[in-house]
Amino acid sequence: MRTDRITFRSGPLIDMPLLLGIVLVATLGIVNLYSATSVYIDAGQRAGLADIYVSQVYWIVVGGLLAILAAAVDYRHLERLAYVLYLVGIVSLLTVLVLGADIRGSSRWIQLGGFTFQPSEFMKIFLILVIAKHLHNDPKTEPRTLLDLAPPIGLAALPTALVMMQPDLGTSIVYLLTAASILAMTKIRRRSLMWLALVGGVGVPFAYKYLLHDYQRARITSFLDPEGDKTGAGWHAFQSKTAIGNGQIWGEGFMQGTQNQFGFLPDQHSDFPFAVFAEDWGFVGGVVLIATYAFLCVWAVNVAAQAKDRFGAALAIGVGALVFWHTIANMGMALGLLPVVGITLPLFSYGGSSVVTILVSLGLLMNVSMRR
Amino acid sequence: MQSLVQRSDVGEFRRRYRWMVVFVRCLFSVLIGRLVQLQLIEGDVHRAQARRNIIGEIPQATSRGVIRDAFGKVLAANRPSYNVYVVPGIIDMDSTWPKVSELMRLDPAEKKELEQRIVELRANERKRDQQILLKVDVDRDVVAALETHESALRGVEVSPVPVRYYPHGELAAHLVGYMREVDADTLAELEGRGYRSGDRLGAVGVERRWESYLRGQRGFQRVVRGIKRRHDKEEIEAKYLTEPRRMEPVPGRDISLTIDIDLVRSIERAMRGQLAGAVVVVDVRTGRLLAALSKPSFDPNVVSGGSGKQAVREAFRRLYSDPLKPTLDKTTSAAYPPGSTYKPFAALAALAGGIVTPKSEVDCRGGYEYGRRYFRCTGVHRHVDLHEAIVQSCNTYFYSMGEHIHIDQLAEVGMDFGFGVKTGIGINPESRGRMPTRSWYTRRYKGAFRGGFTLLAAIGQGATTVTVMQLALAYAALANGGTVYQPQVVRSIETSDGTIVQEFPPRVRRVLDVDPEQLGLIKDALTEVVTDRDGTAYEESLPGVDMAGKTGTAQVSHVTPKGVDPKRVWYFNRDHAWFAGYAPAKAPEIAFVVLIEHGGGGGKNAVPVAARVVRDWQRIKETRLTARASAQTKATSGGP
Repeated sequence: MRTDRITFRSGPLIDMPLLLGIVLVATLGIVNLYSATSVYIDAGQRAGLADIYVSQVYWIVVGGLLAILAAAVDYRHLERLAYVLYLVGIVSLLTVLVLGADIRGSSRWIQLGGFTFQPSEFMKIFLILVIAKHLHNDPKTEPRTLLDLAPPIGLAALPTALVMMQPDLGTSIVYLLTAASILAMTKIRRRSLMWLALVGGVGVPFAYKYLLHDYQRARITSFLDPEGDKTGAGWHAFQSKTAIGNGQIWGEGFMQGTQNQFGFLPDQHSDFPFAVFAEDWGFVGGVVLIATYAFLCVWAVNVAAQAKDRFGAALAIGVGALVFWHTIANMGMALGLLPVVGITLPLFSYGGSSVVTILVSLGLLMNVSMRR
Repeated sequence: MQSLVQRSDVGEFRRRYRWMVVFVRCLFSVLIGRLVQLQLIEGDVHRAQARRNIIGEIPQATSRGVIRDAFGKVLAANRPSYNVYVVPGIIDMDSTWPKVSELMRLDPAEKKELEQRIVELRANERKRDQQILLKVDVDRDVVAALETHESALRGVEVSPVPVRYYPHGELAAHLVGYMREVDADTLAELEGRGYRSGDRLGAVGVERRWESYLRGQRGFQRVVRGIKRRHDKEEIEAKYLTEPRRMEPVPGRDISLTIDIDLVRSIERAMRGQLAGAVVVVDVRTGRLLAALSKPSFDPNVVSGGSGKQAVREAFRRLYSDPLKPTLDKTTSAAYPPGSTYKPFAALAALAGGIVTPKSEVDCRGGYEYGRRYFRCTGVHRHVDLHEAIVQSCNTYFYSMGEHIHIDQLAEVGMDFGFGVKTGIGINPESRGRMPTRSWYTRRYKGAFRGGFTLLAAIGQGATTVTVMQLALAYAALANGGTVYQPQVVRSIETSDGTIVQEFPPRVRRVLDVDPEQLGLIKDALTEVVTDRDGTAYEESLPGVDMAGKTGTAQVSHVTPKGVDPKRVWYFNRDHAWFAGYAPAKAPEIAFVVLIEHGGGGGKNAVPVAARVVRDWQRIKETRLTARASAQTKATSGGP
């Protein structure tokens, strides 16, 4: 009896609010994917999508199991594996570049048995782990200098460059923003900060001019001048805004959003699930969803604040940042606030690798939360 | 202990958490702010756009009104033109194509050309699935053949397109008009009146002037796009479609003209020997236009696009390069010197102004000396009074009269009869002609006014020009005792089932205060032009034709028109031949004008045409009378 009680007390406690938040988002995501793809009009090219919500459920189950695994094993064991995992990630990214399957003009996938998967997605977790590990091993009381920041920046830059070559602009932006968010926790010397700002200020236009492909530039110019292009990239943003606005307060109702059902939303299952959701459920649904994501992000900061070591804190912030930047970028794109770059909405966008990555990283957050 | 150390390590991060939470909340608030803007503030705008996306209006074609002549004969109607379309990406080039080309009876060259085009388009990823027009307006039996084999001809489609049809072709083409495709400028001008690009509208003539009546109104059917095979189609339509869901097309109004196409045809026959000219026949009691012909003419069927755009371009290229100006409506749009046909009006001006009396005589010795110039006459007429001067068309008499009359007096009477002003016929651009006055000459020629101008004006030369239409109406006024009518082309407007919507009564422009005795004198003279042995029209008139009138031989300015073969310049320097008059001479019903451009002497060339026109008019009238009489007897005897 006594031992039982001790086990109960000292054993890891499940973070219920976090769990509920995850379950809520995942459930809404499935429901929304059903609305987005099980179209009742017979628009030819969409017929193939009719059943993808089922595979999404499978992926959530798989991701969920992996997340439980990720939450169960004490994260401090992962700390030791961080560099190894990072190396595995880099190698798989190189593999993709060499023999990746070419889908829609960019090679992102690796075929393994009957599955194709996207190493760049899993790399997100490995990147968080490796930067957390680096900070963990490098405690400082003095503000950090550029030299101190060089190694973690290098760790982030390598996979970013590899992903840019695929080319996958969205994922490379996510890498940079997530890594930057973790590093933002550290104290940095003011001079170094100014240097970083300067490099960023020069680097962005440079990257725009020399590193981006024409179609990527076109998305940005059409975002800056939406009237100039209502047929190409600007068209998608225009239809998405129309869909969201069409939701008004209460929404058109489940599976009733006309922009979605009549095929005016392109990539409604991957790039624009939020437009589908906001059209079906209106302002009320949209606010609930945004609030749930906001809760997850703020909760991750809370978990970090209570983490018992630097690795846990950095890991929690990394997961929070991952969810945060995905959500902001995807919703901002659907709302016409940001240019259209393919960044998924966590647990809403269709995609096995993406769903598993997000669930596993949320499992890691749970892990940190349970062991504070 | 160990855990305490770790806690202190975490201290580096501690100060950042608050700011991170603030940052997260701020960015999510921006998203919610945007939701407020899109969904709450601009919601209605976006919903309207979303509805526009899914709702389509299928236009329901209307039919253009029919144009008929005064006796119900169709002058312009609609017929389907069968066009053959092909989808390059679908058609089988090995089995279907040879069959299609055989059924369409394409000649080898044509076949090869089209085949090449299809093959080219098949290679074009973006265009291969778009229908292309293979051939316009194929024969009915080809249509029948294609339709019989329809099931075996995948990717081939025959569809009817309504085109305007003019059964009488070139006859009265200028008056009835033709159609053209609306261009971008016109489309912008007509914004809001329901025109779409590709629509046709009346280009000239009645088709243009009465476009708004003839056109009708397109209907529409609102549909939800892309739900053809839905089981709950009705439900969806009820949800999204706003009333009215359907608007029936309104067919265009039919228009009945005043002209008699049979008379136009006989005029065309009478004019066969001539290259160019114009004939107008009006009813002297109403001013209604009974016939109008402008020669050379054109086929409105071709220029209206029934045979395809290529044919239209080709036709216009030919028409515009023709020095005889086939597109010009010579009855109203061009002004000519009237020559001696103007003399009756000059005579009336002189009589009214007391310049001459019926008894005044002039000794014609073949010309008239005035100032330093010698004005020629057509012959040596010796002693002539006014009557003889008109009958024999003696210029000398009128020169002498012109010496004493003020040019403005001539112009005033001319304008009373409708010269120098537009008749108000309303169709086609109208020339106003010219009645020169003293002030006009002063403005035109810097320098002293010369009396010679008046002498020329008195014989209808100099700066005087008239349109054929003006002259016909003026002769109608002579015939009816001084009533100048506005020419009338449209008699009534009807709905497609024949109910008259609007009828147009004759419109009098002016009733002239002419001394009946003076007018009688002129009319006697006009009669003797035809009946007197010395009359200028005596020799060429036909026996049994009862008419009165005046010949005219108008000199033209010797200017070589552009682009004319030098060998043909002589033609363009020849005089215009005129004959203007009315019939029957004693109780006039019609007034007519025959103008033969560069036809030479009026008596020799215009009179035979006029005589045939009057003879045919009499015959047509008699046939109609007996037909009506027999119809009436039938109706009476057929009664109970």
